[in-house]
Amino acid sequence: MQFLANPTRFLRIANAVLPYVWAITVALFAVGLYGALVTAPPDYQQGETVRIMYVHVPAAWMALFVYTVMALASAVAAIFRHPLADVAAKTAAPIGAVFCFLSLATGSLWGKPMWGAWWVWDARLTSMFVLMLLYIGYMAIWAAIEEPHRAAMVARVVALVGFINIPIVKFSVDWWNSLHQPASVFRMDGPTIAGPMLWPLLVMGLAYTFLFLALHLTAMRAEIAARKIRQIHIAEIGER
Amino acid sequence: MDFSANHVGFVIASYALTFLCLAGLIIATLGRDRKLRAQVERLDTQRRKPR
Repeated sequence: MQFLANPTRFLRIANAVLPYVWAITVALFAVGLYGALVTAPPDYQQGETVRIMYVHVPAAWMALFVYTVMALASAVAAIFRHPLADVAAKTAAPIGAVFCFLSLATGSLWGKPMWGAWWVWDARLTSMFVLMLLYIGYMAIWAAIEEPHRAAMVARVVALVGFINIPIVKFSVDWWNSLHQPASVFRMDGPTIAGPMLWPLLVMGLAYTFLFLALHLTAMRAEIAARKIRQIHIAEIGER
Repeated sequence: MDFSANHVGFVIASYALTFLCLAGLIIATLGRDRKLRAQVERLDTQRRKPR
């Protein structure tokens, strides 16, 4: 991991891999959307509405995954003082927030025809809403504190303390009575979804993961540039 | 996909919202990256010029 601690080396690697990551993302979305909208059958109970699953579930997976990345990066920054770890955590947050918003919004669009309500204060939905607030709070800290080192110290605490919500979201459907259905893909006894519906879901999950990777590398590259601009301005002030 | 099925509007709205949000995120991320890298290049060029 220390291999990537040098921003110049990181930028060289990011610049080399980014075109391939974008190309894989586009290909995965093309295959995933074909499977989701064309080949996957309608559900025997939910009908065509089940197709919302192919954009809702990957968004929810990514909202949890990206927060986990932020918490890990924050831990690495706090323990090893890795120079790019705070950059990784900071730049992941807006991407994760969009995934979290999409999971809540598409979930609401799925809930209305299936449950008869846009929103219920159910354990899964509420813990997901708390995750959205954590993302917003984390981004607000970086926006409010001008000095990056001080902002990073506070943001790390929020990311690490907020990580307790991730297992709560995951297991909320098992721990409490919930309107939301229980896990049907990542289970100890294997997925309960039929093959023709499962593969488009997994491909869409991979597409979202590669999209995150592409956006995250790009956002990290931009953040490194922003910090360099700040350093140049500080050096100019010092020279005057 | 059967476009005459019940509740198909919810499916279309979900995909449209997802497309809009992800497209916005991609444009914003790529735009910021391009703008900041161009700014760094400009500042580096200015600093390299003899005073």
